[in-house]
Amino acid sequence: MEARPVQRSGSMVLSNLTRTTTSIPSNPSTGEESFTRSDNTQFISKPLGQQTYHLLSSNNNGAVGHICSSTSSGFSTNLHYSSMASHERHGSSSNDTSWCHDSPHGGFLDFPEASHVEDGGIGSAFDDIQKPNDWHEWADHLITDEDPLLSTSWNDLLLNTSSHSDSKVQIPPQAHQTVQQQPSPSVELRPVGTTSSSSNNGTGKARMRWTPELHEAFVEAVNSLGGSERATPKGVLKIMKVDGLTIYHVKSHLQKYRTARYRPEPSENGSSEKKLTPLEHITSLDLKGGIGITEALRLQMEVQKQLHEQLEIQRNLQLRIEEQGKYLQMMFEKQNSGLEKGTASTSDTSAKSDQEDKKTDDSKELVSEETRNSQEPESSQAKRTKTR
Amino acid sequence: MKFGKRIKEQIQESLPEWRDKFLRYKELKNLISSPAPAESIFVGLLNAEIEKFNAFFVEQEEDFIIHHKRLVEKCGDNDDVMFREEIGEIRKDIVNFHGEMVLLVNYSNINYTGLTKILKKYDKRTGGALRSPFIQKVLRQPFFKTDLVSRLVREWETTMDAMFPALTREVEGYERSAAVSSAAAGEGIFRNTVAALMTMREMRRGSSTYGAYSLPPLNLSDSDLVLRPRHVPSPIPIPY
Repeated sequence: MEARPVQRSGSMVLSNLTRTTTSIPSNPSTGEESFTRSDNTQFISKPLGQQTYHLLSSNNNGAVGHICSSTSSGFSTNLHYSSMASHERHGSSSNDTSWCHDSPHGGFLDFPEASHVEDGGIGSAFDDIQKPNDWHEWADHLITDEDPLLSTSWNDLLLNTSSHSDSKVQIPPQAHQTVQQQPSPSVELRPVGTTSSSSNNGTGKARMRWTPELHEAFVEAVNSLGGSERATPKGVLKIMKVDGLTIYHVKSHLQKYRTARYRPEPSENGSSEKKLTPLEHITSLDLKGGIGITEALRLQMEVQKQLHEQLEIQRNLQLRIEEQGKYLQMMFEKQNSGLEKGTASTSDTSAKSDQEDKKTDDSKELVSEETRNSQEPESSQAKRTKTR
Repeated sequence: MKFGKRIKEQIQESLPEWRDKFLRYKELKNLISSPAPAESIFVGLLNAEIEKFNAFFVEQEEDFIIHHKRLVEKCGDNDDVMFREEIGEIRKDIVNFHGEMVLLVNYSNINYTGLTKILKKYDKRTGGALRSPFIQKVLRQPFFKTDLVSRLVREWETTMDAMFPALTREVEGYERSAAVSSAAAGEGIFRNTVAALMTMREMRRGSSTYGAYSLPPLNLSDSDLVLRPRHVPSPIPIPY
């Protein structure tokens, strides 16, 4: 199956991209591998946080302003969302100082309308929101205080939160802020990226991201204590001597470890019967082709490999798309602010839609086409200014 | 609507314990199509979804790490591993483990994709610009960072070669297997994987709203052999 050429103008680079991806499934040589891998590393090293913040403060319809990405932890922005709910609930700007955006109140104008939303459609869709037709009450669950960090309702949410419970729609508690580990294998014994505002609320339920290396250390510690049955979380914790690792982490990990040891089946999810099923079916059916277990396994493996490969490609593409979009946005912002200082207020919305058009027209141009793109918005801007 | 349908199918095909961990795409769409979708509510729900993804993903990853080590121990270092009695069991373990890890990567991806789509819909509906910065935040989330799991997947792909006899007449066997597998696919990892691949192919087919943020068409030249029967057959009932 040949890749269809993208049917937009100026999409040359993307066609190159698809041609490259064409060759990947049939010839997974190191050449193509490096294509995906090197892009991976590229993205990881890009500093996104600062740029995004700058972007927000300059282009603001109000709707966007509350995403403060200036903090390193992705979770911290959740705080701001919940604070925003609080903001809207009180309908005042008293919380502004706890925010890191400087937008007008445009974005919050939506909320008063929300109070009129008693649409049963939404309620029925989200059965697990308490009193789904009354958004005021829902918002009440989120806030009791000006500073949600200190509100006791958060404690309740935290205590009720387990990793598997999403039966209640809850704004993520800030305890999870403490974990933002870089999962790269080269990071050895650094389980948790603690932020200064890490507040476990005394429950110590910060989430932990394990790595194989860390697990190795864990296993060694356990073995030195006489095995998984004999070892205690406290003992293991002491031996491992890893910063940020709490006894809670060790305890739950030890529990998983014990379960895995004494039920050494391929399934982590419990139902190994389900896993065996495809193979059993393939072999137990009256197959004239005489496909054996080995062949069936091989086939299954192939399909899995395919999926994984495609997932990696897709992921890289998605990353590139976002990078590109971000870049274009920034370029546009720069020109926007530069050219239209006097008419900035009136041209905001039209500039935005114009930019979106630009993005659609020059849809798939990646790095090599950037300079051309950056010039086009400028010329259209100039045109509009002239005709005004 | 295509994506909504697809993600629903995938959820149905997925391992039971996973089914309530996916993005609630349809519900979010309903929220958006309400008369005055409030951004705070929408964002709040998205955050809750993201938290759900993160918790599930990290927990699965932890389980994988533990199981990975166990499997490594099981395989041992000897070259004669292929001739051991329990090799059949080991192979099955490996393939299923590999499959489950790939499905987790798929889980991450489909939820991410769902988020981008729902955000796009939201912006379209409200004229807002929520999408781009929100996605930037999503890119930093733990559930999106699948590098470790992918690394393990690749490691086992390499190890597999040592576990399986060398292929002879590979293409023949492949096609034969493909025809058979379509008839024989039951519940579980295999079915889920096939469903996932079909979803990807469908999503990458191009759409009416093709734009700057759309993915290019998919190329799955080899997997056409496997995916040629377009419909995954209904599951063969399993007596519990």
